Amino acid sequence: MTVPVVLVVFAIVASVLGPRLLRRGDWLSRSPRMGIFAWQALSGSVLLSALLAGAALAVPALPATASLAEFLQSCLMLLKAQYSTPGGAAAGITGAVLAVTVLARYGFCLARCVVSARSSRLEQLRSLALVARRNDRYGVLVVDHPVAAAYCLPGRGRQIVLTTAVLDALDEEQLSAVLAHERAHLRGRHDLVMAGAEALEQAFPRVPAFRAARLELARLIELQADDTAVRRYPRLTVASALVRLAEGGAAPASALGAGGHSALMRVRRLAAPSNPLGPGRRAAIALAAAALLAGPVVLAAVPAAGIAHDYSCPPAAVASHEDMAALGCLPAAQACPEGAGRS
Amino acid sequence: MRQLGQLEAAVMERVWSADAAVSVREVLDALQQERTIAYTTVMTVMDNLHTKGLLVRQKEGRAYRYRAARTREQHAAEYMQNVLASGSDRTATLLHFLEQMPADEVAELRRALDQAGNGEAATS
Repeated sequence: MTVPVVLVVFAIVASVLGPRLLRRGDWLSRSPRMGIFAWQALSGSVLLSALLAGAALAVPALPATASLAEFLQSCLMLLKAQYSTPGGAAAGITGAVLAVTVLARYGFCLARCVVSARSSRLEQLRSLALVARRNDRYGVLVVDHPVAAAYCLPGRGRQIVLTTAVLDALDEEQLSAVLAHERAHLRGRHDLVMAGAEALEQAFPRVPAFRAARLELARLIELQADDTAVRRYPRLTVASALVRLAEGGAAPASALGAGGHSALMRVRRLAAPSNPLGPGRRAAIALAAAALLAGPVVLAAVPAAGIAHDYSCPPAAVASHEDMAALGCLPAAQACPEGAGRS
Repeated sequence: MRQLGQLEAAVMERVWSADAAVSVREVLDALQQERTIAYTTVMTVMDNLHTKGLLVRQKEGRAYRYRAARTREQHAAEYMQNVLASGSDRTATLLHFLEQMPADEVAELRRALDQAGNGEAATS
């Protein structure tokens, strides 16, 4: 019974402390790739511990045995032992419901997110076939429009789309930098990163950590795409492209929320010299992220490892052969060595 | 699906570039300069476009003559309005280089860039 409790505590601690820790300082912005990894690991860890907590309630610690027959047999014994008491059965069913609900909710939201994104992209491609012109020089679609906008449609039939105002506002090098940024989104499949994060937030809207993860990931993928662009173009070129497009796309203040904060942060970051984290700190982040993911698995597996050696047929199970026969597992029960439960 | 979209686009292209209302035959003649295509195919596509509200038609003799319901610019404007309105909450669908932002925040961006430019000029 302690394992599920420990896992739930782990999930709560991770989801409360994790975002605070990851948001402290600007170190994730310095290496956005590591930042993306860290936030994904945090979200995955919280989800995984909730899932394993449910599973651990539903299924008593599984013994790690060498042979399959022995494993199945001891599984049956342990399940039988737990579900023969009303309290154990209630806990087990609660756990199973928890695990299945968590998994199904996330699976459903993820599927819905991916499917709706795909269908809305298909619809856009159909509209674009009507209104856009192909520009072979840059390999992009151009829409005649006075507001500057540059974006990409990821996935199958991926496209970069620009408005004519973008072509007017940018010089050759700035335009190439913008295209490098968008190609980084496409190649990195940042749409899937965001689909995963959006689905998690939709599935569990009461977990603030998932909302924080979605917002931070949206910011970090932009930083990472900027970093890809500055590998080939000067930092100030990318920054000036950003400012010129902001000027060409300015909207009435009422029309939208806070897009400006992240843009300002990007410009300041690009205006300053490159300042990535050193290999030591990057390794530390990677290690911490791996530990976050491994944590719940280890916690769930500890009792199993402990049981591997002192496994024995629980007396309660041996005592009721009739019940086992009713469950259709008499052979397994009989196979239990005589006296194993009493030794 | 994609094929149909492209064919519709090609038909709309002809209709938009024509000065007056066009018949299926005229669109067919124009299209046949680039590809082999059957009269019935073009007629079906144009009928669909009419059903979708992209084309309006008027009976003239035994055949219809078609006009675009709206200009390409109007379509583009409507499409871009949707894209710009989608903002940052549909990042799984499309990824903007930059979100639209209000003018005062744009001015702040410009100041940040100019400061950086000046700093660089001063140190070099």
